[in-house]
Amino acid sequence: MSYDDVEIEDMEWNEELQAFTYPCPCGDFFQITKDDLQLGEEIARCPSCSLYITVVYNQEDFLRDKDKSKKDLEPAKQLPISVA
Amino acid sequence: MEEAKRDEEESKQQQIWSWGAGTEGQLGTGKLEDEYLPQLLHLPFLSSAGSISTLACGGAHAIALTSVGKVFTWGRGTTGQLGHGEMLNSLHPKPVSSLQSYVITHVSAGWSHSGFVSDIGLLFTCGDGSFGQLGLGDYRSQSTPVKVDYFANNFVNQIACGMRHSLVLLMGNQVYGFGSGKRGQLGSRDKIKSVNLPQVTCGLEDVQIVSISANGDHSAAISADGHLYTWGRGFAGAADANLPQLSLSSLRCTKAALGWNHGLLLTGDEEVLMLGGNYHGGLCDLEKMSAVKHRSADSSRATLNEVIGLDGVKVVKIAAGAEHSALVTVDGAIKTWGWGEHGQLGLGNTNDQTIPQTVSLSPDIQNKEASLNVYCGSGFTFAIRSLSVNPDNISRN
Repeated sequence: MSYDDVEIEDMEWNEELQAFTYPCPCGDFFQITKDDLQLGEEIARCPSCSLYITVVYNQEDFLRDKDKSKKDLEPAKQLPISVA
Repeated sequence: MEEAKRDEEESKQQQIWSWGAGTEGQLGTGKLEDEYLPQLLHLPFLSSAGSISTLACGGAHAIALTSVGKVFTWGRGTTGQLGHGEMLNSLHPKPVSSLQSYVITHVSAGWSHSGFVSDIGLLFTCGDGSFGQLGLGDYRSQSTPVKVDYFANNFVNQIACGMRHSLVLLMGNQVYGFGSGKRGQLGSRDKIKSVNLPQVTCGLEDVQIVSISANGDHSAAISADGHLYTWGRGFAGAADANLPQLSLSSLRCTKAALGWNHGLLLTGDEEVLMLGGNYHGGLCDLEKMSAVKHRSADSSRATLNEVIGLDGVKVVKIAAGAEHSALVTVDGAIKTWGWGEHGQLGLGNTNDQTIPQTVSLSPDIQNKEASLNVYCGSGFTFAIRSLSVNPDNISRN
């Protein structure tokens, strides 16, 4: 069973791994590459354990950006929120 | 303060064990391996820096606070969470040297960041700052603890670090939150994705809070009269709560421990109750549990359940990992349950457990004076057995 559903915007781009990552309860990270995303893969696996998550994203976003630099594929950084 | 002083005069004999996920060095064993059974650690720093008064365990790192207010860290350090001035893992406990001139009284370890509070109410943070969880007004990571200037004119009592957020409790009661707020874990009336400066947690202004906790996307606070408030990600599929929710007003609790999908509560009657837990954290099959305390007429909220298999044995300590749980009984046994894939239950295998199981610590001792404590990181566990040796007693004997 999928451990959790996680939106792609909540995953972080890891330059070293060339993958989007999300914390796994074992201490490692769930990972999915942009190639996987372009292929429509929605399961991000943890290399250290049996758990996996379902990544919620729009495949077209990644197909459209296929030829662009990967910078465009990085998740939007959290914008500072000003609080009154 | 007085307690710390007293500890200084006493020499405490301690034994420390660790088990579970170890591939980032978080077990302090000097190896990068998972351990399925408690490993007795040899930590030479102990003799020089006093005994360990508390441990804080995060995603894959650990922080030890000694009785004289010094701090040692080990495990994953790739985002600076160890505070050693570098972005590197450490297999062995190393002192956080930039805090040497302070007396630290409280520490917390999040998924990839750390918080330290000094005896004069200063707050320091380091590690991953990409969600604003360091409270420093930016989204940068820090490899050395940085003083949180926002609280320059306040006295900070406690910090609690979650996956991507932090909570702060000030003396005089105010609770603040910063970092990711997407699941409501900051306690804000506005929808907040993330914030990099502390902001007041709404709804607790008139409540006297004595302790705070955070893990995953959950937040919790306990009031002076023993009421539990939770906010953030909903438990067991319940809706997220943007503002602190009072759990069952008849409940009197003394401690809360949060996982990623469950929470544990220790009541004034030394009973343990569990919030949520339909994932590994409970692993406890909900059908097998006696749901003793339903929050009536509100199915969107999580229920509190008794932990089965304790047979009325009183509990004195609780701890929660991401998906496992641990407790210490009044008669000095450590019990664990939940997800066991990395050996984090310390039972010699990788099985999950729905019912608390007793962990064997070796060498065993039969000493009623020994006090046990247990601490959980995401996928690992530490136990400390302390034997107070009062020098006066020794000389008299």
